[in-house]
Amino acid sequence: MHEMGIAQEILGIVEREVEARPEARVKAVGVRVGRCSGVDTESLRFCFECLKKDTVVEAAELRIERTGADELDVSLVELEVP
Amino acid sequence: MSQVVTEKVGQKILKENDRIAMRLREEFARRGILCLNFISSPGAGKTLLLEKTLESFGPQERVAVLTGDIQTDNDARRLGRYGFPVRQITTEGACHLDAKMVENALTGWDLDSIDTLLVENVGNLVCPTSYDLGEAVKIVLLSVTEGDDKPLKYPGIFFKSGLCLITKVDLLPYVPFDMVVARENARRIHPDIEILEVSALTGQGMEEWRAWLSRRRAR
Repeated sequence: MHEMGIAQEILGIVEREVEARPEARVKAVGVRVGRCSGVDTESLRFCFECLKKDTVVEAAELRIERTGADELDVSLVELEVP
Repeated sequence: MSQVVTEKVGQKILKENDRIAMRLREEFARRGILCLNFISSPGAGKTLLLEKTLESFGPQERVAVLTGDIQTDNDARRLGRYGFPVRQITTEGACHLDAKMVENALTGWDLDSIDTLLVENVGNLVCPTSYDLGEAVKIVLLSVTEGDDKPLKYPGIFFKSGLCLITKVDLLPYVPFDMVVARENARRIHPDIEILEVSALTGQGMEEWRAWLSRRRAR
């Protein structure tokens, strides 16, 4: 089930994004998953949930946008800043 | 008072496999090696096609073969009968080859003595789609015993392949496979996909396949 590796990459990307903003809380992570990317979105959701605890995405919602081709990227992060 | 800020990221999710595949692709490019990744359902005829292809090569051809299976080295033994270097990758459970397996399998081979690397993937139309092996082209095989709607059911691999080989065409009189429909379906998923019809058993279409290979090797 390679979706776990992908979920870990997503976590890594978000961690790097928020490194400079330790006061921010990640509310949502936007991910684009192409229909032809070979990635199963339900598996990805499940794996993301498994990974969340004690990470910067602990409280984050994973928003998956299905696109036409084979993209696979983190499109945005939504942060709550004090 | 907290506020919500949306930051655009646009960062590609590069799986570990993609990193290794990129390394392989660079290596192949540096050494002028054409790597082809053959993907299909189990039993679509990958091994026989490769056997007949190897049989048509003269001994001066600098071709090598990697063949992947979950168990046994049956395919390597079949392919090894033509005088070219062949290695079996036994995945012992993994339903696809990945770049790390290919990288490992190439260790000890003198890559400067290889011009063409044929990689026969594990029989599977789903998982190999997501695993870049550093190849120049993915070639998907679809046999006429499988159903002409296959491209619609498995769009991923048809989308990613540069060539679709419709195999076992000698069986056309005995199966309800509609060639026109199959070709339309493949082009619906991937308008620019090249399509060739072959029978490795009877030789039909094999000359066109060899011509495709030659053109690709000349690039």
